[in-house]
Amino acid sequence: MPDIRMVESGRMGRVAYGRIAPNEDLVQSVEKLCLAQGFRNAFVRGALGSLVDACLARSDGTCQVVHGPAAEIVSLAGEVRSHDDGSLRAALTGVVVDVDGNVHGGPFVAGANPVCVTFEVTLEEWLPQPHPETFHNHCPST
Amino acid sequence: MSYRMASLPRPRTLAHPGPFGAVRIETLCAGSGRHYRLSLPPGRSLFDAIVEALAGVGVHSASMTLLDGDLSALSFCLARPDATGRVVATYSAPEAVGPARFIFGNATLGRSPDGAPVVHCHAVFSTPEGGVRGGHLLTERTIVGAAPVKAVATALDGIDLRITYDEETRMQLLKPRSEGRHA
Repeated sequence: MPDIRMVESGRMGRVAYGRIAPNEDLVQSVEKLCLAQGFRNAFVRGALGSLVDACLARSDGTCQVVHGPAAEIVSLAGEVRSHDDGSLRAALTGVVVDVDGNVHGGPFVAGANPVCVTFEVTLEEWLPQPHPETFHNHCPST
Repeated sequence: MSYRMASLPRPRTLAHPGPFGAVRIETLCAGSGRHYRLSLPPGRSLFDAIVEALAGVGVHSASMTLLDGDLSALSFCLARPDATGRVVATYSAPEAVGPARFIFGNATLGRSPDGAPVVHCHAVFSTPEGGVRGGHLLTERTIVGAAPVKAVATALDGIDLRITYDEETRMQLLKPRSEGRHA
């Protein structure tokens, strides 16, 4: 069995709220929101809104399109990470509801999820510690 | 370098009825996060329980994740294409469901133009028949049942989330502005 390892330790920083306008791509807009706020890494703390159509990746390499308008996002989880080439990349997964109220879920494909009417998202900045090995937790000793 | 073009579906760009807004991403920073865990008690509407709990700690703008609980009544709407063409998508007539299990959801606490609290909530729930459905919850008409609904709220300090008429979409939308700024 592979070892379970903590990849990173750190703390939460600032909180930012964003409102994304129609026809902007969900995934890239979350990345741009981080650029606007100067967040290099972030977690999604809450989100709701609608997409024109939702495009969700499947593990076999195909994608599922949930036709709107509007496909409503009822839950969104994810993170934004900065990369060595200076780019930011958001990985967002969530649950959407179609026009009949049926639910579908999966990772949102970047570039293929345009916002329909509006999208609200709250991000919390993640500040990794430069040297994870110096991390100490402060739980009371047992 | 050349790549084979992936057969991804072409995203649709929809024309809205109003003029194209200049700002595509409106964002404000709320400083460091203040978080609260709420337990929304049986018999109360989601709206009353959220608003009262957060007003009690001086929070009037917040982003929330709502977690599992029972509902004795639930009302929701779905977003559908607007047959009249006045707007791109509009809400269906409210659908009332009796008892339901709240699975999870997200909500935003903001204010109406005259300053009254508003809660925008999308959620997933299961019905007694076993189906899993979701949509835009009418939080005033959604009542907590025997098991409390839990919520984790992140306060958006310094941000006034205000229902504002949006010319592009011709809809009333929650938009952020700095607290203390008067339009």
